[in-house]
Amino acid sequence: MTIVFDRVSFTYPGSREPSLHGLSFHAARGQVTLLTGLLGAGCSTTVLVAAGVAPRLLGGSVEGDVTVLERNPGTAEGWRDLAGRVAVLLPTPWTQLSGMTFTVADEVAFGPANLGWDREEILDVAAVAMDQLSVTHLAQRDPATLSGGELQRVILAGLVAMRPDVYLLDEPTVELDPEAADAVYALLPTLAKTAAVLLTTTDSDRAVEVADSALYLESGQLVSAGSPCDVLGSERVVAAGAGVSVATLFRDAGARGPYPVDVAAAASRWMTA
Amino acid sequence: MTVGYLPGAGFLHRAHPFTAMAIGGGVAVLAFLLAPPAGPLAVLALGVALAMAAGVWRVLIPAAVISGPFWVFLFAIHGLFREAPLTALGLSARMTASIVAFLLVIAVVHPGRLVEALLARGVPFAAAYLLAAAIQIVPRFQNRARAILDAQRCRGLRLRGSPLRRVRAVVALAIPLVLSALAEVDEHALALETRGVGTGKRRTILHPPVDTPLDRAIRWAVLGVLAVAVLVTYP
Repeated sequence: MTIVFDRVSFTYPGSREPSLHGLSFHAARGQVTLLTGLLGAGCSTTVLVAAGVAPRLLGGSVEGDVTVLERNPGTAEGWRDLAGRVAVLLPTPWTQLSGMTFTVADEVAFGPANLGWDREEILDVAAVAMDQLSVTHLAQRDPATLSGGELQRVILAGLVAMRPDVYLLDEPTVELDPEAADAVYALLPTLAKTAAVLLTTTDSDRAVEVADSALYLESGQLVSAGSPCDVLGSERVVAAGAGVSVATLFRDAGARGPYPVDVAAAASRWMTA
Repeated sequence: MTVGYLPGAGFLHRAHPFTAMAIGGGVAVLAFLLAPPAGPLAVLALGVALAMAAGVWRVLIPAAVISGPFWVFLFAIHGLFREAPLTALGLSARMTASIVAFLLVIAVVHPGRLVEALLARGVPFAAAYLLAAAIQIVPRFQNRARAILDAQRCRGLRLRGSPLRRVRAVVALAIPLVLSALAEVDEHALALETRGVGTGKRRTILHPPVDTPLDRAIRWAVLGVLAVAVLVTYP
């Protein structure tokens, strides 16, 4: 398994209560694993722990075992081994700009250049990544002048260009308009062909269409795990307000769970009802 | 009023980063080497001329705003003690020339280009990045402060009025400015790490700046001028 959490608890510095409680799950290469929950559920904290930011940079304490590509990202040695192999996208793209580039093309090439690849190879992978994220038309723009949505796609393109083994994506479309968000979600299965993708988002409607498995967290605890249909259509998740829109509509209409999570399933159920 | 890199195609933009830095550094040092007040005033005029010729005359606005209080303070102090105002003039001109030179350099040298130039000379990426980041700290803080001020204004903060109100406005700016900068340090560190900084691998230079014979000649000329200035000032 590419990412393994084994009874992981994490407590932020200055806090008495842990933000993650005995969290256990795994995410494999070839899959998009959806990690969802209401705000404060611990999804972003899980990404930070998987990325090794917590506790290495943020402080705090971790109990249990976190393994990413068979290394512990929470240690300096482990992270050094993982550098360039684990891509982390945070929901604040403006903090992820290198600040060292003239153009979007150079920003996308920043990561591969740091890995010491050949110049021609870097230019090739950067061009492909920009095309995948539909930012080729921005190639000569100054990254500092981009909108939040453009910037989020550029940063993701920079990560894609590095061809990592693991993607840790925390709300990757929070700055995007609906069309651009659709495009990013459509790309995730392609990325998952060569990597493990751990996706945290509250955009369940889009995530359910691309996720291979889903985890639902409440107050830092894993409440439900399984297929996206089972998890996002369950009574508990829908009642909590974290389900997909179709399921929520069915529940509001008085139906009982488990609920359908896409229009086709909803139509089928409605026809048979 | 913007402090930081200004896109352009002037002769200093096209020059090798080391050349632009040598010229800027030369102006600043020369202002302190030459005898006041004529020397520093002449160097200040040179700095202003360079900024205009390089197409970045806009750096003169923040330079005036930053150095203005120094002029007022120095003339007030020297006036108070009945010393020659020429001393104040010389000191003020030195200060202003240095500020113009600094703003000129950060306006024409893009941090990325500086990093590429340093890497091409074998400087480790961490050291090059640190230098470039230090150059950017002023414009970054300026942009952040502007955004925070706008946000605070939307919440009813009033910047004009009594001194007490102005002090409150500074507090409303300073605290979120510092706290947000600290909060983003971790995220920025993570972003750099996740993009391969710190792997110990030799970074590929994508666009190494061209160091022409003219660039090298200009740098030697700057050094020569400084040497002559030393000899003239301290015979």
